Amino acid sequence: MPTIRLEGLTKHYGRSPQVVRALDGVSLEIEQGEFVAVVGRSGSGKTTMLDCAGLLMRPTAGRVLLDGVDTGRLGERERAELRSRRIGFIFQEFNLLPTLSAVENVLLPLRYAGADHRAGRRRAEMLLDEMGIGNRMGHRPAELSGGQQQRVAIARSLIGQPTLVLGDEPMGEVDTETASMLLALMRRINRESRVTFLIVTHDLDLAAQADRIIHLRDGRLAGDQRVECAGVPLEAAEAVA
Amino acid sequence: MEIVRNLWRRKLRTTLTVTGIVMGIFALTTMGAMAEHFDALLAGGITYYSSTVMVSDANSGGAFGGGYMALSTLSQIQHVEGVRAVSPVVEATAKPGSTSVVSMGVPDYIMNLDPNWNSSSSIKLSLAAGTWVTEVSRLEVDLGSSFAAEFHMKVGDTIALPVRPSDAKPDFVNHRFTVVGILNPTLTAPDSGAYVSLHDAQMIEGDSLPTALQGHVDPYQLMSGAVVYAKPGVNLDALAGRINAEVPTVQATKPSTLVSAFKSGGAVFTFMTTAAALLALIIGGLSVVNTMLMSVSERVREIGLKKAVGARTRHILVEFVAEAGLIGLIGGVIGYLLGLVLTTVLNGSDPSGGLFLVTPGLTALAIGFAVALGAGAGLLPAIRAARMDPVSALRSQ
Repeated sequence: MPTIRLEGLTKHYGRSPQVVRALDGVSLEIEQGEFVAVVGRSGSGKTTMLDCAGLLMRPTAGRVLLDGVDTGRLGERERAELRSRRIGFIFQEFNLLPTLSAVENVLLPLRYAGADHRAGRRRAEMLLDEMGIGNRMGHRPAELSGGQQQRVAIARSLIGQPTLVLGDEPMGEVDTETASMLLALMRRINRESRVTFLIVTHDLDLAAQADRIIHLRDGRLAGDQRVECAGVPLEAAEAVA
Repeated sequence: MEIVRNLWRRKLRTTLTVTGIVMGIFALTTMGAMAEHFDALLAGGITYYSSTVMVSDANSGGAFGGGYMALSTLSQIQHVEGVRAVSPVVEATAKPGSTSVVSMGVPDYIMNLDPNWNSSSSIKLSLAAGTWVTEVSRLEVDLGSSFAAEFHMKVGDTIALPVRPSDAKPDFVNHRFTVVGILNPTLTAPDSGAYVSLHDAQMIEGDSLPTALQGHVDPYQLMSGAVVYAKPGVNLDALAGRINAEVPTVQATKPSTLVSAFKSGGAVFTFMTTAAALLALIIGGLSVVNTMLMSVSERVREIGLKKAVGARTRHILVEFVAEAGLIGLIGGVIGYLLGLVLTTVLNGSDPSGGLFLVTPGLTALAIGFAVALGAGAGLLPAIRAARMDPVSALRSQ
């Protein structure tokens, strides 16, 4: 069973005659453990697809099936529960809460999932250790570098042990070196814990390190390509992309 | 913990908002404490006068007399059907000359200690120290708690009664009494009383008789009025009517008339408290609404993030209402404490014990009202936050 399946996903904004077709019948399946990059120009529908896949937005038409569950039939409460238990989010601008420490930010999704706080705290500390910022747990976002903040955000996306992590330009706010390091980190997590990653990026170098590249154009699927040498140095992967 | 930090993010704004609540709750506490004081006084009056029938001279024109009655009238009243006991009342002002000053409570008075009081009245008197004045006591006095505090009296001290006014006339007479007992506070009229034997009360009353009467009447055969205690089950208004019908020289006032007068007095103080609460509502409520609306608009992305990671509408609503409620709680506690300090200081500087009474009920009202006000005022911004679309919230700048 695929982790996520999109069937004829369509999202229109506005009203006739000025309808914007952000997504226009996108269908695809992503299996468990895949690391998928979504590329395309601005306005191609990448973020809209991610929002629909992350249950943040309901499509105008089509279906989003998460672990076989047709999420369109769920109410807002069930969709919120699914978000907290099955999906992790990584944003371009980190979106850490400024009043919370690193470890408290990581714990945020568990607050709404009603999970055991003590066990969650241990897992949050372990995740921050894995991210290499175990010594910055008590620091607030303003006291962390961009790379460190995004590592906190990655840890936050993993705290609920999701099956799917969605990233919207997660390396967009960091320098190239940090971006490579973050990508390597996500790939390691992907390999070790079989978490499915769906990452939107403009950067073809980074996309080339995915297992698969989905190309959107004008809201439609323009390409769906497997990268045979994912994880190889960027220069080599670029040729494939 | 997060809500405390969120409030502290905008220190000045939070401080100003809390100050608004502080002002409102301070006003509510001080005005409320004054209202509680008078409510207690009035409640005592209602309790006392709804269980007795006050009798005065038929020509005096009021329930509390002003004229004189012959002591022998008591036996006539005693024979009216439904009367269980009747006691003479001989009352005089304790501080003559001070009555021209506006009084916010019951003026100090001297009265005979009614032997029927504790067995018949709804308000019971008890001794904090010393012994009771008896019918055979001479120049001995039991002081009400406020009276004793005002003159710093304790058992064994002596006090000249009535108290000599600064502008006393040459013929002013008073007598030195030994304090034999101090009463426990009742929070109502008896606290301002000095209780002497009937003989001594009549002696003081005799001293203040108009010159034309002095030497012509025996003060020991006079009283200011009488208090009638009814048998169980007797309708007191009807009893007052029977007394008026059967003893034409007296005027018995229907208890319902007195009680309604007290209740209308209480309505004034209820209005004062309500006005203070409204003030708090307007000042504090508007500042909380403003603060929380600003807070919501500043934290749109945070709200979007929380919704993205699983927060439901209820979670966001609770978080913002709790934050607004915390503003109310902080403002409420500070405003209440300031009010408590002020009323305590003012009460302490007032020799008669002061005008303010801070009760547990008022404490709960002041702080509870502040929290409810904060949370209530924060509800609208919280609903606005909770209903935000996560996608638009996350994309907002």
